[in-house]
Amino acid sequence: MADKEKRRSGVNPPGMPAGKATKSDSDREFLSQAGVGDLLRGAILKMVEARSDDPIGFLADHFCNLASVTAAGSGGCGDEEQVNTGTVSAGAQEQQRLNRALWHLRLAHHSQRSAFSNNVRVAYDLLNFTGPQTCAGEFSEGPDGPCTVSPAGGGGVRGGLYTQTLQCLCSEGGVPASTSAPLLRRLHCHDHEAVPYDVFRHGVLTCAVFSDYIRQAQRLYAEVCCPGEGTASRALCLAVLGTLKEALETSQGSDTNYCANANTKVNSCPEANVKAIRYLEASAKISPCKLAQAMAGAQTQGPGGNMDAKEFENAAAELFITRVKVVS
Amino acid sequence: SRMNRLNPTVPADQYLADSNVLFYLNDAVIQLLEHKEEYNQFGVIRYFAEYFSSVKNSNHVLFREFNYIQATPHNRASFIRVFWKCYRQIGKSGDLLSMLEYRSLLQLLCPDFPVVLVQSAARIAVMDDTIDCLMSFSDFLYAFQLQFYYQEFLDCVLVIYQDLLAGKSPNTVIVPTSTSIEQIPSVSTEENNKEERPQDGVEPSTLVECIDALCDRFKHSHPPRSCMREILNQTDRISYYSFLMSLAKQEAINQTIGVLPSKAELLIDPEMDQELDKLIAQIVVSPSSNSSSSAVGGLKEVQKKASPRRNIHHRRRMEVESDGSTEETDSSEN
Repeated sequence: MADKEKRRSGVNPPGMPAGKATKSDSDREFLSQAGVGDLLRGAILKMVEARSDDPIGFLADHFCNLASVTAAGSGGCGDEEQVNTGTVSAGAQEQQRLNRALWHLRLAHHSQRSAFSNNVRVAYDLLNFTGPQTCAGEFSEGPDGPCTVSPAGGGGVRGGLYTQTLQCLCSEGGVPASTSAPLLRRLHCHDHEAVPYDVFRHGVLTCAVFSDYIRQAQRLYAEVCCPGEGTASRALCLAVLGTLKEALETSQGSDTNYCANANTKVNSCPEANVKAIRYLEASAKISPCKLAQAMAGAQTQGPGGNMDAKEFENAAAELFITRVKVVS
Repeated sequence: SRMNRLNPTVPADQYLADSNVLFYLNDAVIQLLEHKEEYNQFGVIRYFAEYFSSVKNSNHVLFREFNYIQATPHNRASFIRVFWKCYRQIGKSGDLLSMLEYRSLLQLLCPDFPVVLVQSAARIAVMDDTIDCLMSFSDFLYAFQLQFYYQEFLDCVLVIYQDLLAGKSPNTVIVPTSTSIEQIPSVSTEENNKEERPQDGVEPSTLVECIDALCDRFKHSHPPRSCMREILNQTDRISYYSFLMSLAKQEAINQTIGVLPSKAELLIDPEMDQELDKLIAQIVVSPSSNSSSSAVGGLKEVQKKASPRRNIHHRRRMEVESDGSTEETDSSEN
């Protein structure tokens, strides 16, 4: 970013006297000493890779994350909080790791398979509290700098931390707590349990897919409902839900049995639901009147009345969740 | 345009340009260099974290220079929001202010805020050339929002409008491109005002055509076309300022910009009310207070003034009775 540095130091406040050359020299020196060029270059690359809907927010998170990593031992990063210098309890450190793990999980969409898998691995290692020497190598997308290691931990993520991760993923994905609760009941682990990688990955992936699914369902409901009244006809909603259910069932395949140790068949459940999401996306693109026409047949004998957004969302969620195997 | 991960075909440089990130990075570095003595290597990372967090939270425009505030749509929207938050108590008190007074308020937040912009906003609010009238907070605010956020677009529409008034057919109306904006003369050129006052009005359907053509090529933000068409379809003749005034009042446009609540909720400030109540409660129960009867009496007075119900009565009084007769006495309104 040599041109960028040139541009920066070329912008001097107006009315600079003959000391101009010295100022831009000292500016350059400061910037290179502080490593600003690399810092910004890294940030831009990450940003372009992630293509977030909220680039500014992404950068804010990125730098916050980085700040909490490099300031070893300080508390987690809040947007407007000062970095406190008090002693760090194990709980705060755990929260910090959770924040970092979540940040990694947000980096890539679950449809970007290899990037997402990498990030899940990194997040798992962060929460696993083991693997000190290997983390520098495994952090293919992680922030630079040493990772602080806390001793002990075991062969697995603490159950409570795993459950918390899933909760955060769902709520950050825009799913209200009441909607995600049944899903989490199926996926969660007890606090004393040590969660192995496969279970962790399955849970994370399922929550990511579920968040997308619910968002799409919300959008579809918005398309279908009457703008003035805020509700949609029950018959229409039931018809949509019915076809959704069919889509989920036909794409399910034969591998519905999930075993905690199997790692190849784990994907079938979320993949079926990915197809359901595509169906929802396609449906959302159909204009309401066309959708109504297509569903006209179902409406003739359908039940009357309206269905509100919450009910639709819960019903859609249920279709998804019944296919999720309970983690034992 | 919204980009997301499911649309990876947006090329990287376009994604970067649309997000204005390079602008913010540039500004961040300039600001950093102005205070470089305060920062070491780790402080620098923290600095960028705080800078971008404040941009994300729209806290970054306060007391900045006009060029910065104007530079991106997000900055403009943030500034509008800051203005509203800082001064909505004025709306509550029901005071009407002049254009220059609003300008002073703006300059408290941005020292070099230009008066021309405030004048243009005032013209929209009162739909008149003479902008000496007093304006209510909400009238001014929505007009200001429209003017400031869509500045370039409104300038172009004015050029089109004046051409149409001058009798040019739509085909010959030159649609300004973004590069020619700087050459557009300022709004109140004398020749134009003498002959073709913006009040006269043009054929709305023609205006729609020209605006459509403008939007097709326009690089800056513009209001949603459906909103503009809706306004223009409702009348046989439209003048420039009546068009703008309707735009300013349109809730859909307000939501598109997304920083101000609707007019009905503009003055609701529960946090401030809570703060005032807390403050008052502290004073009442504080053991160190003199708690003489006069202090308590004065306190009750303050409490009444802060009550939103009283403010609503006060406002209604202003609207209904111009002579200030007071039929409502200080009854107990707790």
